[in-house]
Amino acid sequence: MNDKNIEEILKEVAAEDIPADVHKIAQQVSADFSRTLLQTKKQHIFWEHIIWEHIMRNPIAKLAVAAVVIIACLIGISFWRTSGSGIALADVLAKVEQVQACMYKMRMTTTVSMIPDMPAVEQQMEATVIISTEYGMKMIFEVSDPNGKKITTESYVLPESKQMILILPEMKKYTQMQLDDDLFAKTRRENNDPRYIIKQIMSSTYKELGRSKIDGLEVEGFEAADLPLFGGSGSKVTLWVDAENWLPVRMEMDLKGEHMQATGVIYGYQWDMAVQPEEFQPVIPSDFEPMATGMQMPKISEEGLIEGLRLFAELSGSYPKKLSMMELAQETMAFITNRDVLEKIVEKIPEFRGLDEDELDKLDGHEVMMKTMQVTKPLQSPGLFYMVLVQDKKEPAYYGETVTPADTDKVLLRWKISDNEYRVIFGDLRAETVTPEKLAELEAGLPK
Amino acid sequence: MEYSERIQVFEKVRARYSVFLLSVLWKLAGDRELFTEAMQYALLGMWQHIEKLNGKKAGAYIYRIALTANSKAWRNRIGKDGELAKSRTNIDTDHGLLIIGQIHDKENKSEWVAMVRQAIAKLPFKQGRAVVMRYLEQQDYKTVAEKLCCTEAGARSHVSKAVATLKSRLTAFIRQE
Repeated sequence: MNDKNIEEILKEVAAEDIPADVHKIAQQVSADFSRTLLQTKKQHIFWEHIIWEHIMRNPIAKLAVAAVVIIACLIGISFWRTSGSGIALADVLAKVEQVQACMYKMRMTTTVSMIPDMPAVEQQMEATVIISTEYGMKMIFEVSDPNGKKITTESYVLPESKQMILILPEMKKYTQMQLDDDLFAKTRRENNDPRYIIKQIMSSTYKELGRSKIDGLEVEGFEAADLPLFGGSGSKVTLWVDAENWLPVRMEMDLKGEHMQATGVIYGYQWDMAVQPEEFQPVIPSDFEPMATGMQMPKISEEGLIEGLRLFAELSGSYPKKLSMMELAQETMAFITNRDVLEKIVEKIPEFRGLDEDELDKLDGHEVMMKTMQVTKPLQSPGLFYMVLVQDKKEPAYYGETVTPADTDKVLLRWKISDNEYRVIFGDLRAETVTPEKLAELEAGLPK
Repeated sequence: MEYSERIQVFEKVRARYSVFLLSVLWKLAGDRELFTEAMQYALLGMWQHIEKLNGKKAGAYIYRIALTANSKAWRNRIGKDGELAKSRTNIDTDHGLLIIGQIHDKENKSEWVAMVRQAIAKLPFKQGRAVVMRYLEQQDYKTVAEKLCCTEAGARSHVSKAVATLKSRLTAFIRQE
């Protein structure tokens, strides 16, 4: 072999004519792409595949996608949080609250537009959920990836150890998350628990739909519209309850947010079923490996809030404009995919420090993602903490649109802690407790 | 840039580079399936970097996009750490050096062409670009130098390094066999 041989081959390649059908292929691919851009909500599966491929093969994008995974987890957590209580539907709730164990199935299609300039991605999810007041919660989710391949996740919430355990059978991986007391209580009480779904409806303005029939069963319907889910409005949840025993038989959901939509149905309820403690004990085969030992949930506390805001400012140069979950997620995605930001993240991971793109590419994608998730985890705390403030009616007010890290004495966020006291986080992220009068004085000085 | 404006710019840029992409990606892929995938990656790359393609350095970026798209398509086929593909037909590996010296056998020749294409997909960017400009687009060294923002000697150096890399990879493959 010599240079001349190579040159000979290259010249032959250059001289090749382009077949007529290849011209057509090029035109078709271009036309498909243009059409996709114009119809971002009706995605062809191919583009999802390409985007997925792009994400999974590009080392920089691998880092970015970790943030999306985090956000998706958060949506799961925040989904069924509730506050307040109504007065109607109380009979249904009272009945459901007597139940010691129940099971239901859920089918949902979500469309998320999380990465700026990327078409929205549609995902199908099916779940079977078993809840026991005594033994905890077991959820089996099957999510179809963009290639149509199903990914199973078994999720357990264990009351005794206050742990959440996730098992990914196809990947032979598992992870244990230690929940702090507050988060454990919330997760156990509220996450995917029908009782709280009913409370959610009760806390909104809902209407009675009257009688109908589902699979021959006489049912009575309740519809709650304009639920403030996913940071948007216009979400609708319809609950159908058995007219005889007042237990739910079906729930239809049409949830709309600015960047996310979900439609789904909860069905196949089995009330007061007999359960065995073994059903709630995760079985982790010996050849399964931990994803990230001791991985903990983000802090939902003032400390976590400050840590998250500091990291956000460090990476993006400013504070988030809004703290609602979806808006914060969108804003995070808008900057976290920037190369310089990802380089900053890489520098925070000792094992990756100094590696170039090619070297990063050689690393195990999962390892990259898990380490990145750990570094960026604090970014989730401000959104979660703010959500809790809103739902606990603590009168939070956030001024991230006008207050920057340089505005050391301006109010960035405040919330009420008692009738005579407000907690204030300033632009330099120090925290103080002030009187209502002092707060009024501070807020009067804010840019309009 | 607003979404609608972005689409308009994209369509303009796509029209400007459609012939270039068709020609270069086909020559680099030489296979309809690979070409289709490379073309898709190229369009996605153009969409993601539309601002750059609408700017002064568009000429350089389109090469980066095309070569990256080609590499990804090849990588999808052969895997990240894929060695040069083992012959799907019958390269006479015992006499590989001889055969490549005198490419007469049509079947063997097409195998070698495929391997050269595969090796190009793994070249560092500058070397890949130099090969595309010098051989596939048949540009003279003066033009290559202008586009690479270097001297003619520098352009010759990039091209010869690229050819040397291709040669060493193919030679290593023959020895392995």
